[in-house]
Amino acid sequence: MSTATARFDGGPNAAPRPMSAEEKKVIFASSLGTIFEWYDFYLFGVMAAIIGANFFTKLDPATRNIFTLLAFAAGFAVRPLGALVFGRLGDLVGRKYTFLITILIMGFSTFLVTFLPTYTSWGIAAPVILIGLRLLQGLALGGEYGGAATYVAEHAPHGKRGAYTSWIQTTATVGLMLALMVILATRTALGEKDFADWGWRIPYAFSGVLLVISVWIRLQLSESPAFEKMKSEGKTSKAPLSESFGQWKNGKIVLLALLGLTAGQAVVWYTGQFYSLFFLTSILKVDASTANILIAVSLILGTPFFIFFGTLSDKIGRKMIIMAGCAIAALTFFPLFHALTSYANPKLQAAIEKSPVTVVSNAADCNLLLNLTGTKVFTTACDVSRSFLSNAGVNYDKVDGPVGTHATVKVGDKSVVAYDATSPTAKDDKVRFEKEVREALTAAGYPAKADPIPVFSSNWIMIVVILTIMVIYVTMVYGPIAAMLVELFPTRIRYTSMSLPYHIGNGWFGGFLPAIAFSIVAAQGNIYSGLWYPIIIAGMTFVIGMLFVKETKDVDIYAKD
Amino acid sequence: MWKIAVGFVLFAALALWMLSKGGDVDMGGEKHDVAPPAATTEKAPEKAPGK
Repeated sequence: MSTATARFDGGPNAAPRPMSAEEKKVIFASSLGTIFEWYDFYLFGVMAAIIGANFFTKLDPATRNIFTLLAFAAGFAVRPLGALVFGRLGDLVGRKYTFLITILIMGFSTFLVTFLPTYTSWGIAAPVILIGLRLLQGLALGGEYGGAATYVAEHAPHGKRGAYTSWIQTTATVGLMLALMVILATRTALGEKDFADWGWRIPYAFSGVLLVISVWIRLQLSESPAFEKMKSEGKTSKAPLSESFGQWKNGKIVLLALLGLTAGQAVVWYTGQFYSLFFLTSILKVDASTANILIAVSLILGTPFFIFFGTLSDKIGRKMIIMAGCAIAALTFFPLFHALTSYANPKLQAAIEKSPVTVVSNAADCNLLLNLTGTKVFTTACDVSRSFLSNAGVNYDKVDGPVGTHATVKVGDKSVVAYDATSPTAKDDKVRFEKEVREALTAAGYPAKADPIPVFSSNWIMIVVILTIMVIYVTMVYGPIAAMLVELFPTRIRYTSMSLPYHIGNGWFGGFLPAIAFSIVAAQGNIYSGLWYPIIIAGMTFVIGMLFVKETKDVDIYAKD
Repeated sequence: MWKIAVGFVLFAALALWMLSKGGDVDMGGEKHDVAPPAATTEKAPEKAPGK
């Protein structure tokens, strides 16, 4: 360890001091970028239907599938690539400049959507440019989180990195609220028609305001002191990628960071925030508006716990909190989701218990209903039946029939023959099949929708409590994660090394969760069976983390420079 | 700190109020489907939001 230059963080023996004005500015500037990131994340979700209508609906199915795959790549392939590209840059030329580049690329690629002509005006060029902008966004996003975490942690005093970096995690909620407010205000002011025609561009235009503020603040910041010190001593890495991943000494820590930390963190997060929403709306058939408010309330109630657990991790350790979050989540997801059903749709629970449903089919006709990219279609009678029942939130048992058995759905004593989606009469068969199954389900007491859940009713409060518990799990695994990732790696390759496991963990283990969980539900017929995926991954992270990941709260991040 | 807490509470209250008025905004995060699926086939939902 070099002692030639003054230590910005005060070193391990520094006396505690309050947060300085400069440190507040650093946290604010870094968090603003991630607010931007979240704002954009929710914008593309909310706008999906309008964007689809304006840019993609006139394309033929094959071309549309290509665009779907590219949009998918923007989220799952380009972000890890961005982590490598900008992580490397951050370790070579510095955090501040890389940070500026990522926000500029991200900001402009979002802002330019404001002016993008639709398919009607520009033809195929319009969706091509839109997807190009999304790919650029994905690339920049890959460098954003690692940069924010590294930059804040390298400005934080020793012993406060958990508290300081935990602020970055709160930006998800702020970004969500900002997106909600901008979209709802625009929609309310303009009305549905104008919003669908041209008003949807305003939230994208608003991102220009965020961009200007972000760049202005970031321009005023100085380089990270840890990087500056290393640079002045001529110790920066010449090849961060090969040093990070090409040498087993560091490569194994990257692997441990992925399997022993971020994979579990990601599935706990996605289950608590996104799968719970999917479960409420798609399985339990709770009205979408009610479900969104329930999720928003629980997120707001849970958000201060990011700071709580980040700060706590400076005192009792990061590893124990993250591992406890993974373990408790894995042990309690089943009872929590069962409780969600009993409070959100008690009639469905009663029907599941009273009237079991069976799909009888030849096993060879039943495929794995895994649709990671959203481009796959399932056509056999068995797949059609299971998809329909899973989408309807109906538990079922699958019974294998002999070869040649045509899939049949049995509800009580009523049997409905399924259809093959490739047959010439598929359209009529579909209508007949769905009508008959729905009638049978209704007769057996399966509700088509959950009953309304009045605000502040006892059921509403209990659902908020359950969802908030899951958000608190999220804050346990997420609050200390940035500090821990930063402390695992030396300054010379920190940006590169921490960004990749974060984005693979969250993008792949987390991002694939809804599709994988649904495919398990469809395959098993049990509406809770999708939870096995996050439980197994969180369990894996718990075991690997407990056995192989070391506590880092007392690590001197300058020690290996 | 208390200023941030108050700001957050006000911001959150405003967001919730607008959500309760404006209603149906999907909070499932970004979507990768670019258009509705074909009409005659069943498709498992792809709602994977990505970060």
